[in-house]
Amino acid sequence: MAEKTIVITRFDPDKDQAPRKQEFKVPCEPDWKVLDAVNFIKDELDGSVSHRWSCRMAVCGSCGMMVNGEPKLTCKTSINDYGDRIDIEPLANFPVVRDLVVELDGFMHKFESVKPWIVRAKEKAADQAALHPSKGTYSQSAEELATFKQFSMCINCMLCYAACPVVANEPEFLGPAAIALGHRYNMDSRDEGNAERNAIFRGEGTVFSCSYANECSEVCPKNVDPAAAVNQAKFEAVIDWAKNLVLPRGGA
Amino acid sequence: MSRPAHPHAMAPHKPGRTRTAPPQMPSTWWSAPRIRNYLLFDATGIVYYLISFLAIGMIQALGRGPEAWNAVMARMQHPAYIAFHVLCFVSVVFVAIRFFSLFPKAQPKAIGPLKPPPGNVIHAALYVVWFAITAGMTALLAGWIF
Repeated sequence: MAEKTIVITRFDPDKDQAPRKQEFKVPCEPDWKVLDAVNFIKDELDGSVSHRWSCRMAVCGSCGMMVNGEPKLTCKTSINDYGDRIDIEPLANFPVVRDLVVELDGFMHKFESVKPWIVRAKEKAADQAALHPSKGTYSQSAEELATFKQFSMCINCMLCYAACPVVANEPEFLGPAAIALGHRYNMDSRDEGNAERNAIFRGEGTVFSCSYANECSEVCPKNVDPAAAVNQAKFEAVIDWAKNLVLPRGGA
Repeated sequence: MSRPAHPHAMAPHKPGRTRTAPPQMPSTWWSAPRIRNYLLFDATGIVYYLISFLAIGMIQALGRGPEAWNAVMARMQHPAYIAFHVLCFVSVVFVAIRFFSLFPKAQPKAIGPLKPPPGNVIHAALYVVWFAITAGMTALLAGWIF
């Protein structure tokens, strides 16, 4: 067991004009994750510390925080990766609701705007030819799945937004996770919504705002590689635009 | 945190009832090695901007005749110009290496029935083309060919 100084950024909207720092001395077990230290503070030292967490196994994406200035999923980050003093802050680039809790509404709105669902041109009943004969579902081969599976592993932890220099400076930017999700559906063989999403991607503050800093992919805890998705989406949006220019009615 | 982000970064779609603290950029926004590389990558644009003036000046000197051209060539021997050209060379190499490392994964998974080769093949091909063009240009400018 080693005692570490955990510095937590505190902000109470009812009392504080601006976020402030508070130090806690925490006796850390060697196998702890950073989240265990924050939970210890909450349980044993100061019950008013507010933070989000749930699954403790890097699946729910709730416990993203800045650890020594870098966005980290705290349930996946070993406390031993750091020295005796660890600075824990709320995710960068987000408004802070309280202590380590950030405002999610803007993120959810950006997410929704890329139509993250399968779009079919016809209603299911009128789309019998595309359905699996016995299961009544849209079939997909393993090869087709492999083209987008990587981009579907996102857990919405928002670390990519905290790392992205464009998100910090361009409020209308859709951001890495939302674009990666939109691209994931564009790549899905069952989907027919490419034209709608590519029209969104060609708008202001979308794929072409990305300057390919690649920070989103560096911090992603699930190796989704959003930077690859964003830059592939750029290419697809241009190809789609060129096709519409040459074949305005899709070649029909 | 050392620098405020845009005050409306990741703002809620509709204003909430709770007062929030404004968004901040990471404290390492300029000093972390990866971010520093990214900033240097962007900063090389200044070097290319400056050398474009130099190139325009050289073309103009070429148009004014042999004396003007020789004067420019003599000026290029100055250590400041040599240092600037070394900086340009380092910038080009740095940008090429970073660009080549990021280029393969930005390729579409398929264009119609055509699929791109594996990433490491694209990566190697970029270097082969780069060295081939450099060798060709060197041979041309040195008078080894033509």
